Amino acid sequence: MKYAYYPGCAAEAIMKEANDTTIMVAHILGIELVDMKNATCCGAGCLDEANKELSYVINARIFAIAEQMGLDILTICSTCLQTMAKINKELKSDPELLERTNKVLREVGMEYKGGVKMTHLLWVLAKDYGLNNLRKKVKRPLNMLNIAGFYGCHTLRPGEILGFEDPRNPQSLDLVISALGGHPVEYRGKTRCCGFHTLLVNERASLKAGGKRLQEAKDQGADCMVTPCPLCDISLDVYQGEAEKLYKKKTQLPVFNLSQLVALALGADVGDLKFKKHLVSPQSVVESVLAGQRS
Amino acid sequence: MRRKIFIKRFDPETMEDAYIQGFVLDIAKNATLLEALIKIKEDQDGTLTFRKSCRSSICGSCALTVNGVAVLACSTRLDSIDWGEKDLHIEPLGNMPVIKDLIVNFHPFWHEIEKTMPWLEAKEAEGDRENVVSSEEARAIHESANCIMCGACFGDCTIRETDDNFMGPAALAKGWRFVADVRDSMKQERLELLSEDCNVWDCTRCNLCIDRCPKEVRPLDQIVKIREEAVKAGITDNKGVRHIMAFQSDIKSSGKLNETTMPLKTVGVLRSLGMIPMALRMQMKGKVPFPILKDIEGIEDVEKIYEIMGVDE
Repeated sequence: MKYAYYPGCAAEAIMKEANDTTIMVAHILGIELVDMKNATCCGAGCLDEANKELSYVINARIFAIAEQMGLDILTICSTCLQTMAKINKELKSDPELLERTNKVLREVGMEYKGGVKMTHLLWVLAKDYGLNNLRKKVKRPLNMLNIAGFYGCHTLRPGEILGFEDPRNPQSLDLVISALGGHPVEYRGKTRCCGFHTLLVNERASLKAGGKRLQEAKDQGADCMVTPCPLCDISLDVYQGEAEKLYKKKTQLPVFNLSQLVALALGADVGDLKFKKHLVSPQSVVESVLAGQRS
Repeated sequence: MRRKIFIKRFDPETMEDAYIQGFVLDIAKNATLLEALIKIKEDQDGTLTFRKSCRSSICGSCALTVNGVAVLACSTRLDSIDWGEKDLHIEPLGNMPVIKDLIVNFHPFWHEIEKTMPWLEAKEAEGDRENVVSSEEARAIHESANCIMCGACFGDCTIRETDDNFMGPAALAKGWRFVADVRDSMKQERLELLSEDCNVWDCTRCNLCIDRCPKEVRPLDQIVKIREEAVKAGITDNKGVRHIMAFQSDIKSSGKLNETTMPLKTVGVLRSLGMIPMALRMQMKGKVPFPILKDIEGIEDVEKIYEIMGVDE
């Protein structure tokens, strides 16, 4: 398995641990990730609001890079996934738009023929790599943990663009949690929104949305949460303390990025998993996993 | 087939808290949720209260929440509900006060719709005939004109749940319906109104409204169109526009988004000062990246694309 690797801006900066642990997971599982050194930001659904035509060209340029590599694109960010999948679909289904976009790209010696697919680490683990194969690689089963899977809006919706699973009844993340030995938690917020995309515009509403998801998970007995999106991670871990202040209620629910939790279960060196970068310490959760391995 | 249905019951005049009542009923597996409710009311508990009228998903009366998802009861077959638990858990729509059982007070919903001035302020007709609308111009408002005001999007809206000042998806879609109506004379005023207090920019793009709408109004798509038009109309002095423009300038300058300078660019210097304690906590955890980014390889190609397309930062 080999992919053009597109971590997205957040996983290359604030959430660098998501990128580092993805590379670790890929290495352990034998999935080859090839860097796209000349890829830009996808615009995260914002660039297209500022300038739609520009966002087509910027994204087509990213697709053209992968096409030249002969690879599909794997991202670890839900918003990159949705933004790029949406634009890719539009480019592929509208020859006139593709030609208009390529006219600009040719000026910089590139062209997109429409032959690239988008995927996400979560989808690769759940389907392409496969749950049975993943299960066999587990060295530290997470069987002490009730884990709330938080899918993130942009891995699910709109269903007709992403199309991997039913957005109202997704399974992939829960199945990955089970394959790692953990117990998936059912809770209202599972398919709802962390509020990230309005964090800088309507901070209060955004923080309250994230805080609500954490409370919903905690109320159903979650020991921790896991998300396949570094942006959800920012809302749910980094800003958890701010949400607690608004609700005047402590949640202190540790939130892992998917790749961190997978790496932990696959037996990666705990010191490399960057748990110290969490704002809500996952130490007790990690210790219970390590204690389970020892016993 | 036999189905277990749990319904949230509440009568504010006689009780302090809502309670869950369970029903078991034998019903055709492809019956609608509305048919199930009617059967419960007729055979088991005549006090169960819900709205209904046309039974053809056109009146928008019977929206409610089933297993955490807002739907129209009349257009949802029992055997199509494959989300959540096996048994059905029915509640009223969210984000509105409950009047009784499954009936909510739509006042907050209508209040937001009214704010959008949902009527045509017609332009002077050209010559001696009515304003002509081409098929293409009509198509621009086709989706938003399909709204039946059922409140499903409003009931499950992420931001409406946490901010009573947010207009919500239906009202914003209604806003677009008149912004894009070529016969209307108030496009600029409407765009300004919808941008006020950031309203159209407050949406967090969760796409729940697209998923919930039974009439394919695709409210978020209409919200995005309002944003695009507001930018084109020069209504740019707000956090929402500064935020998206930061993406446009960041991609040109290094290829990547600069997460360290983004708050400053979006909320401005003064408001950023209030973020310092948070930034310090993040700094201690190694979560504030160096503010000057290394250029991606081939950044000159990106610059050239901006130049060819005539995009200023």
